[in-house]
Amino acid sequence: MPRNTALPENPVLPDGAVSPQSTAATAPAATAAPTGRRTLRLGVAGPVGTGKSSLIATLCRELSGELSMAVVTNDIYTDEDARFLRSAGVLPEERIRAVETGACPHTAIRDDVTANLDAVEDMEEDFAPLDLVLVESGGDNLTATFSPALIDAQIFCLDVAGGGDVARKGGPGIGRADLLIVNKSDLAPYVGVDVDRMVADAERARDGRPVLALSRTDEPSVKALCDWVRAVIGAHRSGEHTPQDPGPMAPHSHGPEDDGGHGHGHGHGHGHGH
Amino acid sequence: MSTDTGALGALLLADARLPTGGHAHSATLEAALEAGLPEERIPDYIRARLATVGRTEAAAAVVALRAARDPGSGPDYSPDYGPVQEALAARTPSRALREASASLGRGLARLARRVDADHPAVRALPTAQAATPGLRALRPVVLGVLGAVFGMTAEQTARAALYEDAQTVTAAALKLRPGDPLTAVRWLLDLAPHIEESVRAAAATDVPHDIPAHSAPHIDRWAEAHARETRRLFVA
Repeated sequence: MPRNTALPENPVLPDGAVSPQSTAATAPAATAAPTGRRTLRLGVAGPVGTGKSSLIATLCRELSGELSMAVVTNDIYTDEDARFLRSAGVLPEERIRAVETGACPHTAIRDDVTANLDAVEDMEEDFAPLDLVLVESGGDNLTATFSPALIDAQIFCLDVAGGGDVARKGGPGIGRADLLIVNKSDLAPYVGVDVDRMVADAERARDGRPVLALSRTDEPSVKALCDWVRAVIGAHRSGEHTPQDPGPMAPHSHGPEDDGGHGHGHGHGHGHGH
Repeated sequence: MSTDTGALGALLLADARLPTGGHAHSATLEAALEAGLPEERIPDYIRARLATVGRTEAAAAVVALRAARDPGSGPDYSPDYGPVQEALAARTPSRALREASASLGRGLARLARRVDADHPAVRALPTAQAATPGLRALRPVVLGVLGAVFGMTAEQTARAALYEDAQTVTAAALKLRPGDPLTAVRWLLDLAPHIEESVRAAAATDVPHDIPAHSAPHIDRWAEAHARETRRLFVA
């Protein structure tokens, strides 16, 4: 077998072997445990095209003056979302990072959160002290939600243009995310959706968890969103907030015994995410 | 943890479901296809890796395993992964590939700390990065550490490194040039003699100096080009 004698055992690599991103990441990484961590890790999930990037841009625009923020995006095939956010000028470019998901956006926020966790930990270290890291999932389907191994709280984003009946269909994100957004409420008249009805459907599916009809042009709704984020940060810091796993897709039944729209398996004698 | 975990450890480290970040990697297949590698030559691509970069990495994993093992000096033994980390970094000319390997190593290190943070082999992990400032412990180095923690043999560790490299290509191929997944299984089985030959070579490596510097210049070039792409499914 050919032996390498040309290269020294203690090489000086010509290009430095260090990227700007990895330079600062030499200290031991923080653990994923929520205890004692200042930064709130907030996930934003939901089907493709419902306005997740726009919601994040809105949060950055409204809150970056009072909070130290960063964003991790999960695009499926490009770094389009990261570029959109950078071009929106709502945060310094270096505070927006895109991770690749190997064509499995679902996996990257639940079954194997490594790439996202690495990015979140790097941001927390590079921009310490950080108040809020937003993690945008790659637009997947109704069943994709974040694992508490990655985030502390999550927003699930629907929009009126996806159809007024989507909220009734349920699923883990709709039923049990910390906040459900019904986005693009200003478009409702054009797509024949009754926003109040859609919100009421969602509230029934969520056992009292909050639902917010949002439009970036509707100032009271934007304020309500920001207030919710501030409240979660407060609860996170005081230790009152416990990360919840929306869990897997639960069995669903549509029959005579269906009690009117709860999106989890009735009559099967099992709990749902307690 | 039970001490009889070698065989199970070998399966764990070879399992695509191991949550350490591997699913976002293609072993440079994405860049190779982008550069014009015909899809019918994907099995040749795997074989080329097994004979070159795969063999270098498997040998480094074995050397790290040997460095990580308790030499019998008791619970206070303290391995130094600096020499194997340096030797492997020197044999990985592409910066993009060093960083990809460090990224995979980071996921494996998180697993190692979760499995047994107090194990002397795990506690010594920072010695790897200390030898190459700015570059975290590379994947083969941490594989060797996990091999020691699980009690794996040199052959098991080398095979895990090589098998995982090959399966990274086949799994990525199904995303990049979708075909029959059963065909990809066949590719892998047909490559068994090549895997085993590289296992034997790697298992016979004792010290960092003996890690072969098999390079694959095309792969290095493709990986560097990929790092500058804005449209990609895989990290590397």
